[in-house]
Amino acid sequence: MRKTLSVMLALAVILVMVLTGCSKKSESGASSSPSASSAAPGASASASSSASEEPSRDPVTVSLAGWGSSPEEQELLNQTLDEFRAKYPWITVNYEVIADQYMDVIKTRLIGGEGPDVFYLDAFEAPALIDKGVLEPLDGYVTPEFDVADFEEPLLNAFKANGVTYGFPKDFSTLAMFYNKKDFEEAGIANPPATWDELKEAAKKLTKKEGGKVTRYGFGVAPELARQMYMIQAFGGKVSDEQGNATFASEEGLKGLQLVVDMKNVDGSSGEPKELGAGWGGEMFGQGKASIVFEGNWAIPFIQGNFKDLDFGTAELPAVNGKKGTMAFTVAYVMNKDSKHKEAAWTLLSYLTGKEGMKTWTSKGFALPTRKSVAQELGYDKDPLRAALVAGAAYATPWQAGATLPTITNNFNNQFLDAFLGKQKLADAMKKAQDTANKEIAAGQ
Amino acid sequence: MMRQRSWKRRLRSTLTGYLFLLPTLLVLGTFLFLPVFYSTYLSFHKVNLLGEVSYKFVRWANFERMSGDERAWIALKNTFSFVVFVVPIQTALALLLASILNAKLRLRNLFRIVFFLPTVTSSAVLTLIFIWIYNANGLLNRLLETVGLKGYNWLGDPGVALKGIMLMNIWSTAPFFMVVFLAALQDIPESLYESARLDGAGRWKQFTAITLPLIKPATFFTVVMGIIGTFQLFDQSYIFSAGSGGPNNSTLTVALLIYQYAFKNMDMGYASALAVILAAVILFMTLLQRQLFREEKLG
Amino acid sequence: MPGSMQRFAWSRAILYALLVLYAAVTLVPFLWALSSSFKPLEEIVSGKINFIPHQFTLQNYYDIFVKEPLFLRWLWNSSLIAVVCTAANILFNSMAGYALARIEFPGNRLMFFLILAVQMIPGQLTIVPAYLIMKNLELLNTYGALMLPMMANAVFVFLMRQFFLQFPRELEEAGEMDGMTRFGIFFRVALPLALPALAAQTIFSFMAAWNEFLKPLMFVSDKSMFTLTLGLNTFKGQYISFWNYIMAASMVFTLPALAIYAFFNRFFIKGITFTGIK
Repeated sequence: MRKTLSVMLALAVILVMVLTGCSKKSESGASSSPSASSAAPGASASASSSASEEPSRDPVTVSLAGWGSSPEEQELLNQTLDEFRAKYPWITVNYEVIADQYMDVIKTRLIGGEGPDVFYLDAFEAPALIDKGVLEPLDGYVTPEFDVADFEEPLLNAFKANGVTYGFPKDFSTLAMFYNKKDFEEAGIANPPATWDELKEAAKKLTKKEGGKVTRYGFGVAPELARQMYMIQAFGGKVSDEQGNATFASEEGLKGLQLVVDMKNVDGSSGEPKELGAGWGGEMFGQGKASIVFEGNWAIPFIQGNFKDLDFGTAELPAVNGKKGTMAFTVAYVMNKDSKHKEAAWTLLSYLTGKEGMKTWTSKGFALPTRKSVAQELGYDKDPLRAALVAGAAYATPWQAGATLPTITNNFNNQFLDAFLGKQKLADAMKKAQDTANKEIAAGQ
Repeated sequence: MMRQRSWKRRLRSTLTGYLFLLPTLLVLGTFLFLPVFYSTYLSFHKVNLLGEVSYKFVRWANFERMSGDERAWIALKNTFSFVVFVVPIQTALALLLASILNAKLRLRNLFRIVFFLPTVTSSAVLTLIFIWIYNANGLLNRLLETVGLKGYNWLGDPGVALKGIMLMNIWSTAPFFMVVFLAALQDIPESLYESARLDGAGRWKQFTAITLPLIKPATFFTVVMGIIGTFQLFDQSYIFSAGSGGPNNSTLTVALLIYQYAFKNMDMGYASALAVILAAVILFMTLLQRQLFREEKLG
Repeated sequence: MPGSMQRFAWSRAILYALLVLYAAVTLVPFLWALSSSFKPLEEIVSGKINFIPHQFTLQNYYDIFVKEPLFLRWLWNSSLIAVVCTAANILFNSMAGYALARIEFPGNRLMFFLILAVQMIPGQLTIVPAYLIMKNLELLNTYGALMLPMMANAVFVFLMRQFFLQFPRELEEAGEMDGMTRFGIFFRVALPLALPALAAQTIFSFMAAWNEFLKPLMFVSDKSMFTLTLGLNTFKGQYISFWNYIMAASMVFTLPALAIYAFFNRFFIKGITFTGIK
């Protein structure tokens, strides 16, 4: 017995030792071992040094984290990083891909003090992280040649709080109207609708039915706050107020939303993708189940790649209440406040969002550049499909509204769908969503 | 003399017992017990873990907050109805399949393998496959229509979304318990059935008088794990509703709610309190089960 | 006599019919996933429902296996982890289950209760403290982080306990009479006769380790340390799901686990365990 006992114990001990020893620590060690960081002597954490002193050239490793993307996008990013390395050979970039649940992983790593030096941050999530004080303010690092004015203002403002910049947007997309040219010809519609009323008319003409069931909606809708926010604002409503409380159920807000809901329940000319078996707007459009959808830049390669025979065009969204409006979705590079290589991190960040880096990254059109100069250089403002998206950047509403937006979105989406499907009256549903959201917000304070 | 020996014996028993438990306790202790205790500790605090770390002892505040939280009640209701519907059916189906596949049947092994497919697949993959099947234009609706029934908007309609998940869950976890029952059934000696048959007992009598009592521990396992598993339903609900718990909170389970509070709102204290309550509910149900099953005592 | 024979034949036929129906229902989703894995994304999103691909392609698998340089590494990681964890699980869980079922010691009930109770807290909540523990043990990005938490499993301890409860005592008593220690009884009497339960555990532990996603996602940032589940999940774009890759990846995941099950299934055949008792 003693023999088997001691053998087992020995095995257990060996097992544990083997496992902890035979580890493959990441080469950079940037995040796990502080000793590896060789912060340049003389370059202090204070940002002013970057402008006045010659930056150190000691070898340093910086970690960069982002979410997964298509193989083509990965290649573009790798290309950009290669060009970066050619210019700054002493900086090694350790690029980590976070396979899923990006924000959860980032938050966990930040809590544990193992956050990456530079990472992606979506505008939607930005206010919450800024509030927590985990991002490094970047204004002090900026040099004149970085040319902050070159960025589209609404996109830049999405990452500012109290006048301090916490990130620079790397790309964006707005929503544009995708319309099926063949369907339009068939229905005798000459031009894409320029106002909401024209949209209503067109949608009615474009809806097709077979035997009582709709086979094609004139207008495909995504009934979520991310897509409807600008409708709330069209008549002067606001999603939330300064304290972060939800205010979308105001009269003005409801006016805009009612237009959307009525098109479905009164006109019967619009529906959501799932009703006809499509996963999202792009699929719905490509499968011929909707003649008009409001989608973003990502839909263009998707449709071109998977629905090659589809003849489609894009245009700016129809004006509501006399005003043009659309949503902008943008992602920025931000810096970890606890980064141990802030200098090098800034070099990377400024390259990726600088004119050179952005040009490479957005060269294939998977995402649009946030710098006006790059957009012009790459010709996107004249591109037949992308011009509408680019034009929208000037008046777009960034998809963001303070740290409480996630809670508000959750509740809004929950109830709006109900109203959209005609199961509740819009006013009731929105009131319910607003009240629940505000209760949750209050409880969380 | 006798007393000394039995004292030594008990010591030996204790040592052996804990020695047997040691590796498991080490692993579970570090990676399961500790986090759980930490979470329980958090449930009595208002915590901020991200950024400026702060702990503020608030005693019962988190728990009181729950009574006013509408979504918590909806989540509890959803989860409860899920459990009540899924666990009995799952258990019965598992036992049925195991019994059938235990008998000498042709192609028995093939059936066992095919039936086990859903369990072998990760729940994430399964859910994705099911999103296709439940698609308004997808297989299920087309099937229903050929039989003359109406198709549903399984994914988009709050009324049916949860039921869709239930069906999928039963289908994918029943085989797991089928395997457990199969293992348990192996240990019932054939001789018992033989003597019963000689006594003139029919199939059903054999089942209720011999099989059921002898597999009680396995049944207890199935029911308890079924309860624990369904109460903690997360994956399917998350993928189905893209994390929102909609439409209209219809697919909101308690685990999803906890996740939302923990990661979206970064409200660890409240999330932990919810988890503690959830654990308490599960525990209560388990103890109920125990009474019903009246487990064999040790020794 | 003939009447009951007829009834018997009928009931058999119905039984088979039901089994085949259930099998078909189970197979169909997988057949679709399999067929989708051979289709280009174009065909999948076109909305057509066809089981035989119109544009049969091996490109999806090619992209996964060949173009992704780390694929073999991920496969190795997942396999290593699954094998080690399964072996550890079988040993540790069975020991613990046996102790809880058969050894009298103070705190037996308490231990069982604790083991049961900790499973009731959802994993989404315990992952952050678990991460902090990993960090403090300096195990992040190591095999240790991927293996250690999964070397024992409360569920299977519970399973083995239940199994050992219904175990006949006579054999153990015989062993004790022969002067065997607990360890001896466990390794030489109990364990060999617990093959069906061990087979079940092997299957389940392997599956659990193979399919584990959340822990590797949080504990590992170095791409070369990813498990297969993580690595194949990077084929999701921000806005678009690449169903063709996802389905091909799913097939790649599922097959090893299914093979393990098919192999261990034979242990559920009667005759391997004891017979002739009483």
